[in-house]
Amino acid sequence: MQTDVIHKLQKPWFMLSAAEKEVLPHYILGTDSLGRDVLSYLIYGARTSVILCVGCTLLSMLISVAIGTLSAVIGGWFDLVVQRFVDAWQCIPNMLMLMILMSIFGNGMWQLIFAMAVPSGISGSRMIRSAAIGVKDSGYMKVSGQLGCGTIWKTIRHVIPNIMPLVIVSATGALSSAVMMESSMNFLGMGVEPGTPSWGYMITNQGRPNMYLAPWLALLPSIMIALMVFSANMFGDGVRDMLDPRLKGGVGSYNTKRIQKMAAKQLKKFNIKHPTNTGEETQA
Amino acid sequence: MGKYIVKRVLLLIPTVILVCLIVFTLMRMIPGDAVDTIVNRLTSSGMSVDADAVRAQLGLDQPFFKQFFTWLWDICRGDLGDSFFENESVWSIISRELPKSLELGLLTLLFTNLLSIPLGLHCAARQDSLTDYVVRMLSIVFMALPVFLLATLVLVYPAIWWNYAPPITWSSIFQDFAANMKMFLVPAILGAITQCAMQIRTIRTVTLEVMRMDYIRTAWAKGDSERTVLFRHAFRNSMIPVITMIGNGLGMVVGGNVILENLFNIPGIGNQVIASLSTRDYPVVMGCTLVFAVVVMVVNLIVDIAYKWVDPRVELD
Repeated sequence: MQTDVIHKLQKPWFMLSAAEKEVLPHYILGTDSLGRDVLSYLIYGARTSVILCVGCTLLSMLISVAIGTLSAVIGGWFDLVVQRFVDAWQCIPNMLMLMILMSIFGNGMWQLIFAMAVPSGISGSRMIRSAAIGVKDSGYMKVSGQLGCGTIWKTIRHVIPNIMPLVIVSATGALSSAVMMESSMNFLGMGVEPGTPSWGYMITNQGRPNMYLAPWLALLPSIMIALMVFSANMFGDGVRDMLDPRLKGGVGSYNTKRIQKMAAKQLKKFNIKHPTNTGEETQA
Repeated sequence: MGKYIVKRVLLLIPTVILVCLIVFTLMRMIPGDAVDTIVNRLTSSGMSVDADAVRAQLGLDQPFFKQFFTWLWDICRGDLGDSFFENESVWSIISRELPKSLELGLLTLLFTNLLSIPLGLHCAARQDSLTDYVVRMLSIVFMALPVFLLATLVLVYPAIWWNYAPPITWSSIFQDFAANMKMFLVPAILGAITQCAMQIRTIRTVTLEVMRMDYIRTAWAKGDSERTVLFRHAFRNSMIPVITMIGNGLGMVVGGNVILENLFNIPGIGNQVIASLSTRDYPVVMGCTLVFAVVVMVVNLIVDIAYKWVDPRVELD
């Protein structure tokens, strides 16, 4: 990233006086102690955060679905051993586990994704397993077993599609905690490599030493982190209200009936026949 | 009930052994080992040392499983080993550092529950009132603020405005109460605020769900006063998830809050583990982790038993 050492620690554009605006170059959100443009840094930092959080969520879901469903479908001694392992893993504090894993892998983006995803995937598998056990006891699973379906086929064809709403709901939960973890790890300096732009690292590296001279260096990335966590939370809440059967029509949920109606209206506009629409409705 | 407890306690044993195995394996996977650190330190102070001799002295030249079972056998005898660097046993390090982390954690837990239970219940009882909206809005805001962010702001601005700074040295709560509180109060409140946000929302949702139940309607219909309906019927039933939350909080207390300890110079167990991790002081990290894990397991067991006590409908299997 380009550095402008002469104009380092320059105030954001809206904090400058009219006279200064004439003289100084146009850095909309100012510069940091190395003269880097804060706005570009924040934009690049967003990329880091998004890759980390989405990657961590996907990987952790993959791990928890694999462990949870296989443990439920195979059952027996396999289930017993795997569950003891999950128990043991869950007893170790999360932050400590993250730090141990990061010192094994070293700093870096993919390492951080892996280090965050493995613990959260393993502890998330508990919930997936109990849902999968519910599916396993259903009639169609027994029938598919009698038809000669193998474990893998049963898992992929019958169990996973049936627990998908739960998987999506827990994925959104994992997303918002991944945002929080990612910024904390970068804040502690155990995250991505020092050169990579990251909001958490910016607060430690630029914000804290220059807090008196340049408070915006800590405040701007803080606002970005808060917005990101906030939007992940809101997204998770919305998805949960849409998909979680326990909350359907319950207190505080979005009006799913209204959303379905709206969706039906939209589909009508494009002249697509929705499978749930009856013939009379499309005629009217 | 007694049978259940015995079964759970017996199940703890394989879990503890697995925890030991996981921690031991992970520690040995960390690149570089304690021998390198020791040799570096000694050679930089002008001594010549033989790396193999140091390795043999620490027992690190043995095969992996032999080391593991030696360590496990020592644990069975109640000996967590000695630190590679500090010339001190792991037990004495833990008993020195843990009380500080425990104090911070318990204070945080206390403030969290003192704040979140009344607020959550109030918001549920007076749904859609002004207080409800304000508390909900604040909890959404604080849920989005990572604790290190609040802590950084608190460390900087009060220092400018009121000359506040956390003390550098730790003093015991029994010797100097004021100095001790000066160190622990602010981080505890900060930790509590961030945990509160989540907890208030959960308590409110759960209580609202309970208040839509048929038996609450019956209680209203038979003419119970608001006080009776809320305190006898609604709130007692909404306390079950709260117990889980308190249990989770208690489990986390032992692990220490690494970020808060780091920012407020609290010499707790979290900081100790970070330091030992960077010098590859295996016995200390493994011993601390083991203690955390055992406490978490015991707390989980107590929470499960407390469930049964609060809600007799729960079937323990």
